Amino acid sequence: MLRPCLRRIAALALGVLAACGSRQEEVVAYTSVDQVFSEPVFRAFERETGTPVRAVFDTEETKSTGVLNRLLAEATHPQADLFWSGDPVRPFLLIRRGLIEPYASPSARDIPAAFRAEDGAWTGFAARARVLLVNTERVPSEKMPGSLRDLADPQWRGQTAIANPLYGTTSIHVAALFSAWGDDAARAFLDSLRSNDVKIASSNGEVKRLVVSGEIAFGLTDTDDAHEATLTGAPVAVVYPDQQGDGTLVMPTVAVLIRGGPNAAAARKLADFLLSPEVEREMAETAAHMPLRAAVAVPPNVSRVGDVRSMPVDYARLAEITERIQPWLREWVGLE
Amino acid sequence: MGRSRVGPSRWEEPVAFGVAALALVVLVLPPFAAIAIELVETGLARALAPLASPGTWALFVRSAGLAVAVTLLATLIGVSLAFLLRRTDLVGRPAALLVHLFPLALPPFLLALGWFHAFGRRGALGSERGSAILFSDAGAAAVLALAFAPAITALTALALDGIDASIEEAALVVAGPWRVVFEILLPVAAPSIGFGALVVFSLAFSELGVPIFLRVSTYPAAVFARLGSMAYSPGEAFALALPLLGLGLALVAIERLVLGRRPPAVLGLQRARPAFALGRWRTPTSVLAWAFVLAATTPLVALFFRAVQARGWTTWIGASVGTSLLTASAAATLITALGIVLGHGLARRRYGSRALDALGVLAFVAPATAFGVGIIATWNHAATEAVYRSAAILVVATAGRYAVLGLRPVALAVHQSPPQLEEAAAVFGAGFFTRLARIVIPVHARAIAGTWLLAFVFCLRDLDLGVLFYPPGRETLPIRIFTLEANGPEPVVAALALVQVGITAAAVALGLALLRRRRSG
Repeated sequence: MLRPCLRRIAALALGVLAACGSRQEEVVAYTSVDQVFSEPVFRAFERETGTPVRAVFDTEETKSTGVLNRLLAEATHPQADLFWSGDPVRPFLLIRRGLIEPYASPSARDIPAAFRAEDGAWTGFAARARVLLVNTERVPSEKMPGSLRDLADPQWRGQTAIANPLYGTTSIHVAALFSAWGDDAARAFLDSLRSNDVKIASSNGEVKRLVVSGEIAFGLTDTDDAHEATLTGAPVAVVYPDQQGDGTLVMPTVAVLIRGGPNAAAARKLADFLLSPEVEREMAETAAHMPLRAAVAVPPNVSRVGDVRSMPVDYARLAEITERIQPWLREWVGLE
Repeated sequence: MGRSRVGPSRWEEPVAFGVAALALVVLVLPPFAAIAIELVETGLARALAPLASPGTWALFVRSAGLAVAVTLLATLIGVSLAFLLRRTDLVGRPAALLVHLFPLALPPFLLALGWFHAFGRRGALGSERGSAILFSDAGAAAVLALAFAPAITALTALALDGIDASIEEAALVVAGPWRVVFEILLPVAAPSIGFGALVVFSLAFSELGVPIFLRVSTYPAAVFARLGSMAYSPGEAFALALPLLGLGLALVAIERLVLGRRPPAVLGLQRARPAFALGRWRTPTSVLAWAFVLAATTPLVALFFRAVQARGWTTWIGASVGTSLLTASAAATLITALGIVLGHGLARRRYGSRALDALGVLAFVAPATAFGVGIIATWNHAATEAVYRSAAILVVATAGRYAVLGLRPVALAVHQSPPQLEEAAAVFGAGFFTRLARIVIPVHARAIAGTWLLAFVFCLRDLDLGVLFYPPGRETLPIRIFTLEANGPEPVVAALALVQVGITAAAVALGLALLRRRRSG
């Protein structure tokens, strides 16, 4: 009695496992855009085209090696068709290694030239910015921080946080400071953060959690994290830093096609969809991402890229700097 | 005794052992070989450079200290509770054991998150001081010890269950209960407790999420920094993993030296035995034990209060529960099957079995991130694409990583039974498979079922490994929880975490019920 039953279960399990691996018309997308925002976009694509999207999502920055490094590890036999990067710098690591298939999507024609490569190697859309998230119960309005340098202000000693600069958008932000200020000034700033006892959180989401819970007074995070914090009803305010100075770092999300991906045609279709104004609008509404197109409507709580004084940066250069300063950063966080 | 009949049956054992050994080697060795090649390609001088830094070794010592503290605390908790909940007349023992095992269902990071909700500055029980303790070395040690103690409890309970009742009865004739506990039961259970300590030490040393969350610098973070940051360097990561692998082997050697020469206890027939009466201490001990068990579930309670605010969480769960159950069941079955053959070989000191055991330990202690990169390099080829692109890759990877959880408990159980039973059967012509089916498996049914459950729980909660290469669109529930944790609504994340606890508890309860039915049937 037991044996036939076990045989049936084994056959069923093998069938399911085999079905899991079978090929059909589909597109494989890897994304470091938070699943809570990106998955509904993929589902909308599926509804519109009938092509299923098989997705790999990233975790909070330090809890996995991240999809970028999965792409590097799979480089000899690519499994992904498209990478929707949550930032504009990581795709350059793939471009430098020849892992990208340029594609100038017709959907991207009205995206400003500063946010896309002419040959279609990368195309930006729906941006985020680096902001200060402030707990208004701990910070009175007259003491509201307005600059990154306030993180190093002794009056906030031990009461602020940034995410680990080895990972995520914080690593890009640090590279931007090295680019804008030069190595010596940037290192001195980071050392001043250390001596001001700035907490090093595991991720930007963790910075948000610390601010919302009142564990710290304010911290540096991304606009989407800040937006989520405001939705909880927590006593928080969002500050775009350095509007009178260097400007705020703005980072579009980026779509790139993977060279040698198994479903090239479907990947182009998905890229066209992602780069459409409708997706920028949806990302503005659901994830507070800032549209690059001036014509895309935004909800009242979301700024346009054009409304913010942006930090002038060259994303390709930031990719080089980010790689170069890794050993120093590992030392800075105490891992060497 | 010791002779087997000449005929095809004499080849059954070496063939079965060889096939199982080959399977384990295929599951574990190629990923290590792949990352060793990375190390060589990176250039030995460059890859090994971080090992020359005093800072690296300071971090290593600090991590070892944390892991030792976690192991000592978890062993104290686990052994005490295993004895109280399995062998005394404590009030509500079965329920208390089940509740105590709950935290084992969750990746430790979620438990840390629950502790934060409870003891963070604005937590339900929070204060400035509580927050300071939580975000410290001591806080990390406590969180990890409470997360891992159930593993020691489970292994010790299995060992206590396997001890022949007649030994206890004979001892009780001439000695008091406490002497019997400390001089008979605990020494006989020592190999299992030692293995549990090895498991906990390995888990604590390789844990990444909790120390990072609690802002405690540890060695695995240095390994991870070579894999998770912009400077992707698997060669350097593997070089940094070498001391961990060396430590793993050293622990196995120490364990064998200290515990390996113990005379095996004789396993008797499973039969009921009287519980140790706590007498006038029954009520206070019961209150204390229950208070502790319930206190350890604080993070689950905190998650529950978050989860009740969740709306529409079922839409976020996808097919992850099915994938989790299917892959964890398949992997646990494979681990147990390998464990029966190889564990039996280890207990009977078959040639090569100790090397296979060490290989299993290495896969277990290796940082998941490094082992995972090796899995990708091994399986991501055209010829093996059917495996790599399907849920089968999760089965293959977790079966390799957790193989030692099948091999060791079965070996410890078989070691406790006299070889004469099998030898007698062999004299009458019973081949290896017949002896396994008619003697080894029935005699050790509880231990084998317990082994399957342990392997199942570990595969079900696996996150660090599977997240590196899970097939697109086919993530397990822990992976889904963590990808949603990035900006997902906290109540939804908490609800999914409770689903993870629920399916684990249901599977364990079902397994225990089947076992009980089998015993009474």
